[in-house]
Amino acid sequence: MKLVIDEHRCKGCNLCTMVCPYRIFQEGKRPGPRGYVIPALDQPERCTNCRLQKIYGRQLCGMCQLTCPDQAIAWIEEKPYEAHKVVIEY
Amino acid sequence: MTLEEWYRQDRLPHIYCAGCGNGTILNCTLRATNELGLDRTKTTFVSGIGCSSRASGYTSSDSLHTTHGRALPFATGVKMVKPDHDVIVFTGDGDLSAIGGNHFIHACRRNIDLTVVCMNNNIYGMTGGQGSPCTPYGAISTTTPYGMREMPFDLCAVAEAAGANYVARWTSYHVKELTQAIRAGIETPGLSFIEVMTQCPTSFGSKNKMRQVSQMVDALRANSILKDKADRNKAAGIPLEPGKFVVGELVRRSNPVLGGRP
Repeated sequence: MKLVIDEHRCKGCNLCTMVCPYRIFQEGKRPGPRGYVIPALDQPERCTNCRLQKIYGRQLCGMCQLTCPDQAIAWIEEKPYEAHKVVIEY
Repeated sequence: MTLEEWYRQDRLPHIYCAGCGNGTILNCTLRATNELGLDRTKTTFVSGIGCSSRASGYTSSDSLHTTHGRALPFATGVKMVKPDHDVIVFTGDGDLSAIGGNHFIHACRRNIDLTVVCMNNNIYGMTGGQGSPCTPYGAISTTTPYGMREMPFDLCAVAEAAGANYVARWTSYHVKELTQAIRAGIETPGLSFIEVMTQCPTSFGSKNKMRQVSQMVDALRANSILKDKADRNKAAGIPLEPGKFVVGELVRRSNPVLGGRP
């Protein structure tokens, strides 16, 4: 599963940056296609829903999706050949 | 059914301003209906006029966008004709308590089997930010430029006194609790009234030194007191501070119901 922000729906209110317990959403810097500054995703691999939703068979956190007033946050299926970013934390 | 199917995808993105809490409440309501596994063909959303009442237009099931303040009479009609439908009413504080005040009292008195979700943003947001009956004392709006000099309505107390079966109050910050409250409201027979305190950064916040969405959400979080704590304070003789409000499940009872399931 992959966390995505729909750039055509997001209005840049930054409520997701307030509620995410893993601090994945960060305030963005560049405006999106509709002129709103869209939040940036910082290491979305840390999202529990992305990693564990399939294993547990239910939604685990979902605070960002529930709080987003514009229905812009969703989890989509990853393609099997999609490259993963490897994060090494020291 | 998935959650996405409850939204009318062709109507999104909606018209709400950036940071408006009404979209969050729409999320929570549709999540609750989805979790309960309601039949989309047997669920009806009714709304009046105002920002909040646009919400019914973004749901993919049957929806009625009705006249100002008359959401509850329309919903009463739907429920009486179709007792097996789940009827959910979206309404705002001005729509419910000012123009539709008497309809609200009498719907609670009849205890008709509806779920009323009131999005209380303390102001008439869509028509320019006039003061509503729920505007807090001293707050500034376009019709009260020197501060509101009337005391606000306590909608939950009105619903409780008039005889509603389930009354709860949450804020748009408490999303999980709000979803649970809406689930409980749909499951409870009789009128279920859920008041949601929500932010309006465009019309209310910009005039009251809370221009940023985060400031409004922080104010909601700081001013809400859980019911257990409020009860403890009351027992200890500590009164509720002005400007603060109690959140939680306030009333749950089983009075006789009009228009219940056959």
